[in-house]
Amino acid sequence: MQPCSREMQTMNSLLNPTQQIPLQDLQNNGNSNGHQQIQNPQFDPTSSHDDFLEQMLSALPSCSWSDLKSPWDPAKADETGGANLDNNVGFHYDEILASKLRQHQINGGGGSSPATAAMKMMMQQQMMLAGRAAAAAASGGGGGGGGGLTMPLSLGSSAAGSHQNDIVDGSSFKSPNHQGGEGSVQALFNSFGAGSLHGTNPSSNQPQHFHHPQGGTMQQAQNFGAPAGTVMNQSQASGSTGVTPAQPKQRVRARRGQATDPHSIAERLRRERIAERMKALQELVPNANKTDKASMLDEIIDYVKFLQLQVKVLSMSRLGGAAAVAPLVADMPSEGGGDCIQTSANGGSLPRNSNGNQTSSTNDSLTVTEQQVAKLMEEDMGSAMQYLQGKGLCLMPISLATAISTATCHSRNPMINNGNANNGGNHPLLQSTGEGPSSPSMSVLTVQSATIGNGVVDGSVKDAASVSKP
Amino acid sequence: MSPHHPNPSSLKSRFTTRFLRALTKINAQNPISSSSPREILQRFRRIKVAADKSMAYSVRSRRTWSRAMRWKLRSRSWRQASSVRRLKITTSCHQAIMKKTAHERENKTTTGEGVGFGVQTDELRELVPGGEAMDLCNLLDETAHYIKCLTTQVQVMRKIVDFYSP
Repeated sequence: MQPCSREMQTMNSLLNPTQQIPLQDLQNNGNSNGHQQIQNPQFDPTSSHDDFLEQMLSALPSCSWSDLKSPWDPAKADETGGANLDNNVGFHYDEILASKLRQHQINGGGGSSPATAAMKMMMQQQMMLAGRAAAAAASGGGGGGGGGLTMPLSLGSSAAGSHQNDIVDGSSFKSPNHQGGEGSVQALFNSFGAGSLHGTNPSSNQPQHFHHPQGGTMQQAQNFGAPAGTVMNQSQASGSTGVTPAQPKQRVRARRGQATDPHSIAERLRRERIAERMKALQELVPNANKTDKASMLDEIIDYVKFLQLQVKVLSMSRLGGAAAVAPLVADMPSEGGGDCIQTSANGGSLPRNSNGNQTSSTNDSLTVTEQQVAKLMEEDMGSAMQYLQGKGLCLMPISLATAISTATCHSRNPMINNGNANNGGNHPLLQSTGEGPSSPSMSVLTVQSATIGNGVVDGSVKDAASVSKP
Repeated sequence: MSPHHPNPSSLKSRFTTRFLRALTKINAQNPISSSSPREILQRFRRIKVAADKSMAYSVRSRRTWSRAMRWKLRSRSWRQASSVRRLKITTSCHQAIMKKTAHERENKTTTGEGVGFGVQTDELRELVPGGEAMDLCNLLDETAHYIKCLTTQVQVMRKIVDFYSP
């Protein structure tokens, strides 16, 4: 797409950041076209830029500059403006110098008009050569013809304001007349046309537009850190991502570091939505202090499992314990679920020493139950578990108890002094209900929980409920 | 703590009404004095089903997981009714749905989750009913709602238990 010579491209790459900016400024500051002025406010370099440009200017032979400027009064002002831009890319001093020198040489120190005209011709030729395809594509928007001149004309006339707006947007590099692929072309112009391009208004429009987009991109993309090569790459890259070499480059100029193609944008959106959801979930789930998404997901999974378990346990307890229905409350007592469970779990070896259904119990029964359970545990863990279940209690691993306590009830904390003792793990549970075995063993516990089929946090849940809800 | 739910039409109150109704029905059918282990388990299962069902219905199918749960319950009840014809219908429906979900899953994986949670995502899918057919974004949404409903369920059940156990 850009047959322009390599050297032009390299020059462009070198010059882009700086060239464009000064050129834009030049153009902006220049009064040759209203467009420039329109562009001015958008790209506005600060006064600091002026200093830089002045330095640059001073570095170059004055005659050439004057020649350059002569056809175009504002040129000088532009260049000073350009200095502002240059400051943005401060480290391109050398490049600017080199480019200006080259321009100077190109100008040949001759009369400004002839030099600039020649320059322009060259530029136009280059443009036509390099950006013919792009130009054609671009001109589609700009209505420009085959020649670079026509393009700039259209550029200058039609869309200057729009150009500016587009450019100012910063995120989109939309120059209908200016194809992204023409970045190199622009660079060409930039390199050559620091001042010379401004020779005539129409032609100056051209460089303006080219520069503006470039500069706009530079400034607003804030790729100051990136040399012109980056700009070039971006323009070329954006062009490559686009459907056609010319149009897409200008279509979307995303911010630096972000992709421009629709896929990545969609991906980004998706990721944002997921992050939102994760945040919402974080509030629902306790212990949501994790910042890591993966651990957060783990937490969520555990919590869902825990809740499902709770529901299961509660329904089990209702089945075996406090009983489902109002009319039967009175009938609950001695017989009932607890016994049933005991029998079901182990064929009923467990004697019914207590009122299985009553989960709450006095201290008397507590000790009694404890002793009972302890005895049972010695002989048969299964029966002990059944016994507990009959009472609406269960033995559970401390970890689970902790989880439940933290998740459900604050007030339970003092109760659940689990520490690491199995005893501790059980006692709080039972104590909350009023009962507790003396010393179950953890291993047995887990085994039993497995055999019994659910482990269950029957009593603990209930306890939590009863404790937390006075 | 007052047993009254402030908002008469909230999820909680809806669930409570349905659940209590189901519970009474269950208890009426199956007096608690039955001591056969199997029956106890059955009863337990029934209660659990009742809880799930009432929850799913009270959510009124607005959510994917409630729809999936309803479907599952319905198909299960059909299967239990052991009507061959119904079973066939169920299985065919099931197959259709499974195919659809598989297809969706393919799409999902091809589009790529982009977040790389892999294992955990699958786990979550298993936990949340109907989670197989959703992409991560919707899955998280459904999970949030599901968690909210589960907590409601747990609260109500606990309250009932407390209420009925002195």
